[in-house]
Amino acid sequence: MSHSEKQAHIRNFSIIAHIDHGKSTLADRILEFSNTVAARDMEDQLLDNMDLERERGITIKARAVRIDYTAPDGEQYALNMIDTPGHVDFNYEVSRSLNACEGALLVVDATQGIEAQTLANAYLAVDANLEIVPVINKIDLPSAMPDKCKAEIEDVIGIPAEDCPVVSAKTGLNIADVMDAIVRDIPAPTGDPDAPLSCLIFDSVYNSYLGVVVYIRVMNGTLRAGDRIRLMHTGAEFDVVEVGVMDPFGLRPTGELMAGEVGYLTASIKNVSDTRVGDTVTHADRPAPEPLPGFKKVQSMVYAGIYPADGARYNETKDALEKLQLNDAAFSFEPETSVALGFGFRCGFLGLLHMEIIEERLEREFNLDLITTAPSVIYEITKRNGEVVRIDNPSNYPTPDEIETAAEPIVAASVITPTEYVGGIMDLCQDRRGVFIDMKYIDTERVELHYKLPLNEIIYDFFDALKSRSRGYASLDYELEGYEPSNLVKLDFLLNGEMVDALTFIVHADKAYARARKIAEKLKDNIPRQLFEVPIQAAVGSKIIARETVKALRKDVLAKCYGGDITRKKKLLEKQKEGKKKMRQLGSVQVSPEAFMAVLKLDDDQ
Amino acid sequence: MNYYESLNRPRPLGIYVHIPFCRSKCAYCDFNSMVTDSPDIVTRYIDAVIAHMESYRTAVRDEYVPDSVFIGGGTPTAILPEELFRLIRAMKKIFPLAENTEFTVEANPATVSYSTLTRLRRLGVNRLSMGLQSAHDNELKALSRIHTRKDFARSFRIARDAGFDNINVDLMFGIPEQTPDTLLHTLHYLTRVGPEHISLYDLKIEPGTPFYENYAEIAPTLPDEDAEADMYLSAIAYLRDMGYLQYEISNFSRPGRQCRHNLKYWNCDEYLGFGVSAHSYFHGSRFSFTRDIAKYVEGVTVMDSRVRITDELEEVGERERIGEYVMLRLRLTAGIDENEFSRRFGYSFDELYGEKCRRFVRGGFMIRRRGITALTPAGMFVSNTILSDLLEFEDLGRFNFGG
Repeated sequence: MSHSEKQAHIRNFSIIAHIDHGKSTLADRILEFSNTVAARDMEDQLLDNMDLERERGITIKARAVRIDYTAPDGEQYALNMIDTPGHVDFNYEVSRSLNACEGALLVVDATQGIEAQTLANAYLAVDANLEIVPVINKIDLPSAMPDKCKAEIEDVIGIPAEDCPVVSAKTGLNIADVMDAIVRDIPAPTGDPDAPLSCLIFDSVYNSYLGVVVYIRVMNGTLRAGDRIRLMHTGAEFDVVEVGVMDPFGLRPTGELMAGEVGYLTASIKNVSDTRVGDTVTHADRPAPEPLPGFKKVQSMVYAGIYPADGARYNETKDALEKLQLNDAAFSFEPETSVALGFGFRCGFLGLLHMEIIEERLEREFNLDLITTAPSVIYEITKRNGEVVRIDNPSNYPTPDEIETAAEPIVAASVITPTEYVGGIMDLCQDRRGVFIDMKYIDTERVELHYKLPLNEIIYDFFDALKSRSRGYASLDYELEGYEPSNLVKLDFLLNGEMVDALTFIVHADKAYARARKIAEKLKDNIPRQLFEVPIQAAVGSKIIARETVKALRKDVLAKCYGGDITRKKKLLEKQKEGKKKMRQLGSVQVSPEAFMAVLKLDDDQ
Repeated sequence: MNYYESLNRPRPLGIYVHIPFCRSKCAYCDFNSMVTDSPDIVTRYIDAVIAHMESYRTAVRDEYVPDSVFIGGGTPTAILPEELFRLIRAMKKIFPLAENTEFTVEANPATVSYSTLTRLRRLGVNRLSMGLQSAHDNELKALSRIHTRKDFARSFRIARDAGFDNINVDLMFGIPEQTPDTLLHTLHYLTRVGPEHISLYDLKIEPGTPFYENYAEIAPTLPDEDAEADMYLSAIAYLRDMGYLQYEISNFSRPGRQCRHNLKYWNCDEYLGFGVSAHSYFHGSRFSFTRDIAKYVEGVTVMDSRVRITDELEEVGERERIGEYVMLRLRLTAGIDENEFSRRFGYSFDELYGEKCRRFVRGGFMIRRRGITALTPAGMFVSNTILSDLLEFEDLGRFNFGG
């Protein structure tokens, strides 16, 4: 087979969708249909390797798989399917994955219609010049409205949907239509196998035997085992050990990858941070004239302190963080110390979901009990002496007399909601200091709202508030727009007159009072009564703006030792003592890790 | 060598017998008791208890002279009186009771009769313990007690008529529907009735009781923590004014009428318990017997039975004995005599615990004066918190693996 014939039989595509619209299930069906995976080996969400992904039905890391497919006319195709994370936290990863493809299946839930992330992902696909193939999913459900969905896709995204596949990924209905559309509608890749090499890195994973396995799409040239390669943005050079393609159950070395192909390379690379998503792989001796466009260094948007609930497990926590970082270059951490919480780490995340996932993996895969402080964004402070500092930990926030100007990150947010909830959602955005941009009707029942919102309001439980005000129907997407000056203050909390650094927040001056009262109340409700009364104060600078009191404990007694049962009383005291051992000393006040977490749990809209 | 072992004469001992039968079960009760109409079960149980006591005959006679007996339950007066009499007669034959033995039987106001009480009195029982709980019938009903205040008044009179001049009455506070006023009223009523001893227990809602199961339902009718603490403090003050002195967290008496048997618990003295779920502190060990009546009966009466009746067995180590002593003596208003403490253990109380005590003294929870360390009433009502701070893990037996 000539090279161009070979290229003509390749299809590279992604599956994109709003969360829960059935992306991973459709991927499962495609694998099954093409006999890539025998039915006996089939398990749900095959491409989602992590337990967490399976359980929550989300895709966290992009993954690619090569499918050998024989079309009804007998032609043999190599289909490269790239499963992408659907969440706004991972937009950049998604955009890189899309750049590795010529087409995308846009999965839309026939019972829900277009959601915010459907649109966001569709726009990303349009930006990447992809051929978009809409797939209407979940038509087995009684509330499915495929025709309405099609109309929405045509009206809102502006792509034809008249003849698009209408399927049930769950039952396997009409999957053949999807296969036909892939082969028919998605263009074959182009690219010159003899040109200087340029490959796009769209993901990498750490493997303890092979080192980093780099997922690539060869745009031009040919990559062979043994080649010396250079990563154009980092400048690092490596000798390729192995190249090949991804079978559903593992890596299959092929010796070479040509322009148009999707596959992997290994080169004894120790660290995933050397292989940044979006970077270009080229030959060291015959480099491409310029890197592929679109590279960005991934930056953490959200920061939080992570502390072991049991201080003695600091080293274990550190090891666990290091292990997670091996596979996740977007996650950063460095040691920090808190008076209240002891030794821990300041960690940077792409967003709240990313943070939640890391936390959950630490607790689940490494059996750690953690205390996580409230998430914070990065503030840019210009000091009076001209110095500009970026603050990712509220307790490092400079004092007001040092600050010339303070700026906070602003996002462009898009909310899609049924019209009946528009009022409530506009109130919410208003309340969260949002600036209204515009509002578009998707159809008579649904609206897309655009707002400019401070990111620190979004991380303060915006998503849950949005869901509760729309009975779960509204969807959210956002993108960082930049920094804007803002009137910010540092809000401190004092227990028994002593400041608790882990409870310090940065808030907009207008919100300081409300937030102070809210958190003081929560502290009051969650701090167990102690032998002595505990005053709680919220302060901006030296000014106390809210106060509460935890009343002194009055009753904790075993009134009766029945029939001389002393052992029971000893056990009870031992248990109580054991509980106290786990308590955190916040100043002179003892607080359990659970209570601390309850205070930090940001539920503003209940 | 144990404190008592250094004395070369018979040591005092408390005897407890558990009668696990009741007419009906109270909503707050997690004690081991069953409601039965079968005289057979009771007979076999009493046989077993007697056989069990018999097996301790030598061990007791060699070293001890019991000077307190407490027959509790359950409701000892709920079984056929003959069974109770038979038990007492047998006990007196097996163990050589001291001349002035304090001999208590628990009685329910709804289940006593004059004839039973006079016969008990004649058998040497010299102290009665009756459960009144509250002088308000609505509160009694909420506790699902089977008696009314009137029943109690009648029973109390009968007890006096039968010759009992040493009577304890149990009261409870923190019960559904109770207010500080109704508690004071109950105290007012009872002090006029005039028993020698009053126990005032704070209701604790225990797993496995109807109260626990229906907690959501009764919670709104319960006084809150602060109200309870106020009730406790005002009850102590009221009873003191009426001539009942507090001597333990939940116990009050006319001068000289403290309960000798219960004091053994708080003083770390020895006692032997018979019957299901009975606890003992004997020869330096704490142990208890199974809660299962059938198992107990079989284990005690069937020759070569493989059924083990011992439920818990714990050798009390040296450091743990100190912990127990602190934990138990601080229940008493008499507190810890630091001289006696160092005589007993060879350590200075102040060196072991003095530093930690400071906070409690400063907060008004503890008094340390003239070599005595004791909790104040406010301190008693938070004594779990204080003790769990004060005591170390090794005081509580964490590092004592037995053997």
